[in-house]
Amino acid sequence: MNVRTAVLLFLLSVLLCPVVNAVESPMAQLKPTLKSLTDLLADERLKGDAHRDERRAKIMKAIKVGFDFEEMSKRILGRTWQDISAEEREYFTRQMIKLLENIYVGKLESYSGQQIDFQEERVKGKRAQVSTTIDNQGVKVPVHYILNLTDSRWMVYDINIEGVSLVGNYREQFKSILRTDKFAGLIKVIEEKNKSFEKGQASL
Amino acid sequence: MKIRTCSAIPVLLCLWLFLLGSSLIAPVAAVAADAMPDLLLEDEYDNDYDDWQDADIISDPLEPWNRAVFVFNDKLYFWMLKPVKNVYAEALPHDIRGCIDNFVNNLSSPIVLINTLLQGRFSDAWTVISRFGINTVLGVYGFGDPAASEFAMHPPSADFGQTLGRYGAGTGIYLYWPIFGPSNVRDTLGRVADFAANPVNYVGLNSDEALGYSGTALVNRMSVSPDVYEETIKYSLDPYVAIRQGYYEYRNARIRGGGTEENQ
Repeated sequence: MNVRTAVLLFLLSVLLCPVVNAVESPMAQLKPTLKSLTDLLADERLKGDAHRDERRAKIMKAIKVGFDFEEMSKRILGRTWQDISAEEREYFTRQMIKLLENIYVGKLESYSGQQIDFQEERVKGKRAQVSTTIDNQGVKVPVHYILNLTDSRWMVYDINIEGVSLVGNYREQFKSILRTDKFAGLIKVIEEKNKSFEKGQASL
Repeated sequence: MKIRTCSAIPVLLCLWLFLLGSSLIAPVAAVAADAMPDLLLEDEYDNDYDDWQDADIISDPLEPWNRAVFVFNDKLYFWMLKPVKNVYAEALPHDIRGCIDNFVNNLSSPIVLINTLLQGRFSDAWTVISRFGINTVLGVYGFGDPAASEFAMHPPSADFGQTLGRYGAGTGIYLYWPIFGPSNVRDTLGRVADFAANPVNYVGLNSDEALGYSGTALVNRMSVSPDVYEETIKYSLDPYVAIRQGYYEYRNARIRGGGTEENQ
């Protein structure tokens, strides 16, 4: 190795250092999260109602690595978040995480091995969009993940399927409930919905 | 093909199924990799509650009336339509229902063709023509779909409400029709125009036969589509708002279509 090569290598290593240390791209971070989810959903040992609780626990653990349910809850509630006390926030977030778990995991469970293709990513400041398509019998359904950079990780806070935003949809529902029933009424509706899922679980 | 019905009720049920089907369970869009919409344009939130948008985007002055219709349709669905659909789905194997769906879609190609042309989506228009040719000849009058299975040509979809939207027409107020479900002024006009353009209207069927054809087509459509309506009810806190918002965003996405020609 001559001196020139050595200098080049040194320069290269200095130049590359910050790149290595920097945050991975949103897509690079989302990929393993989705992979672990699809692996869990495809796992024969976890299938069926008998393994429902175990499956859900594992899925939730995997989801929390890349999905920020607290951020989702805040965004869904909107401005009312500011008007409620610390305890109310805590209780609301807990109920919401339960609700989102029921909704998202319930939807995930209808997944049956379709191919997920990562199409592209877009980063704007601290927000990013990762676009994927899910192949459903030859028809490609677009699913976009919207992420927020928190500390040093990209966390999903919204999912957009065919143009319909999950957070946006619930925010509109909440707005309408808040207008007539205020925060106390909203909490009641969320509690009831969560109970209905538990009942559904019991009857299975 | 002759289908007879004796009463108007099943026909109405079927019509409703069709509209539910086409607005909520329409065949979904496949998108070209380079046609992903930019969803980061507006952050309505941006960690700053001061910019919080409280204004409704969807104009729904008839909400109380629409909500009453919503309740009516919901009962109709769970008490009548769902049982009808279940019996139908049990009576016919899934393959056959798939063939009937192909046949109906093939016959409606002219509507899709007109709309793709009006929207300037020329490669989609060509796909419609090619699919019609291939499926009518190789797919035995359109009962099969070799265009998709052998030539990977998936059906583009286009409707007149979408065409109007692409030319800049606003939605008008939100309408929740008895039997037909979510719509708005623009899409209602679009649906009437598309219905008028359906070639099935011009092959000399009498009105009973025409309705019977629509009815069968529609129950069939529902029987091969996922239960999006029921899912929405199950996962929503205010299903009326969930469907209103979902319909609005779904239609908008179809009109934007990723900005370029969509290959659905």
